Amino acid sequence: MTAEPAALDQWYVLGAIGDFPQGQSSRRLLGTNLAVTRAGDRFTIESNGPPAAVRTDYGHLWTTLGTPARPVFDLPESRESDRRAVYCGAVTVRASGLRLIENFLDLAHFPYVHTDILGTEARPEVAKYEVEQRRDVDELWATKCEFFQPKAAAASEGGQISRYMYRVVSPFNVMLYKTPPAAPDRWDVIALFVQPVEPDLSIAHPYMLVIDDISTDAELIGFQQMIFLQDKIVLENQRPKLLPLQPGRETPTRADLSSVLYRRWLKEKQLRYGVEERTDLA
Amino acid sequence: MWVPIALGRDVPRGATRAVLLEGEELVVWRGEAGTVQVWEDRCPHRGMRLSFGFVRGDALNCLYHGWEYGAGASCRRIPAHPDLTVPPTIRAKAFAATETGGLILVDRDGTGGPPPLMLAGLPVASLAIAADPETLFQLVPATPRPDPQLVEATLDGVRFHLGWHVPGPGRIMLHALVLDPGAESRALIALHKLRSEAEARRAA
Ligand code: FES
Ligand SMILES: [Fe+2]
Repeated sequence: MTAEPAALDQWYVLGAIGDFPQGQSSRRLLGTNLAVTRAGDRFTIESNGPPAAVRTDYGHLWTTLGTPARPVFDLPESRESDRRAVYCGAVTVRASGLRLIENFLDLAHFPYVHTDILGTEARPEVAKYEVEQRRDVDELWATKCEFFQPKAAAASEGGQISRYMYRVVSPFNVMLYKTPPAAPDRWDVIALFVQPVEPDLSIAHPYMLVIDDISTDAELIGFQQMIFLQDKIVLENQRPKLLPLQPGRETPTRADLSSVLYRRWLKEKQLRYGVEERTDLA
Repeated sequence: MWVPIALGRDVPRGATRAVLLEGEELVVWRGEAGTVQVWEDRCPHRGMRLSFGFVRGDALNCLYHGWEYGAGASCRRIPAHPDLTVPPTIRAKAFAATETGGLILVDRDGTGGPPPLMLAGLPVASLAIAADPETLFQLVPATPRPDPQLVEATLDGVRFHLGWHVPGPGRIMLHALVLDPGAESRALIALHKLRSEAEARRAA
């Protein structure tokens, strides 16, 4: 499948800067092979045509195969000096990148997929939360999310009601803001940058900007990887692998409000990469 | 049409099993009451395969968000909304299923009529063979039964009931029951010999 303009005209992550050796390496994005050349901290990225645009933001290498209307999204927390930036390692997932983002936005799976860590079967209720498409910045925000968590983060001592916010900045990039155990008045940032390799094959690049001076990097990475591998089992066994946008294919309830608005937003953008082919449109 | 898809003993109470039938993913499961169920292996909520789910009492629960499906395949609990009365329209896709003579059979298209009845055999094995049914049954002296995809056969002097289904092109899954008590070991050896011969013939 060749990518359509809605998918091409976006910025995509290719990996953490530290993962690129000096000299040549190769990556794949939207079904296209890319040759990445690193000389010191300068990068060039080439596919078939002229060199592609390059950005090095938030510790990652970014590119585009089209002409994005906007720069790479802003992540103001990256400028706060008391935060630790933690790379958690790339994870390959045999599923549409859109399924990865949707799963990241989902609260209701915590008790079942992250049992006794991010949720418990004894308290599975998803309280009403709010989702808003901010048209001025073209972002999707879910706010006032609350969930009881037995072990919300690497540094948690016991259960707590965690507060969450989600910020979807583009179809394949999302941030989660979560109250840290150590500083209830601020927000930890956990980002998920997704590199769509093929419509049904993705590389997830989780990245954290946290306020935590107790846990070691290894503890933070270990915690995040454990959570993500639990999600991977689900993601690779959803059917279809591509995200269905056709009405009636799946059954959302109130807890799925963020998914419903995410899908509506994708439809508005006429995004098709990673989307199941529709049969209801003539 | 009724198609054998598994041995009953391989789906004990409280268990789920994924079965691929002509490219279609099915889940076979058995609740505490003992009745076997065959459904599409897909949760209507967000498409998670139900074979990854867990059985409690007489219900199958989806692994992803814990939606609970009763024996009739209708969803009766959505944990994220504990007070919600689930509308009856929310249901998994169930197929007609039956169990006879040690075999589990499914009628996916509803054209099978009354379910087959067979004498009990001793289940020995479900065996995946990389061959199509035509190639395989050239090697098996078999007496057809009135039911499709079910034969009586004798291999190396052991009498069998053989049911089968086709997971996908060029593959067959054989479900073997022995009719002679005490012949299970000879039966297993005969089946593995049959597999080698069928796969060799295919390679040739
Ligand atoms: S996908 Fe099955 S409960 Fe959500
Ligand atoms: Fe998760």
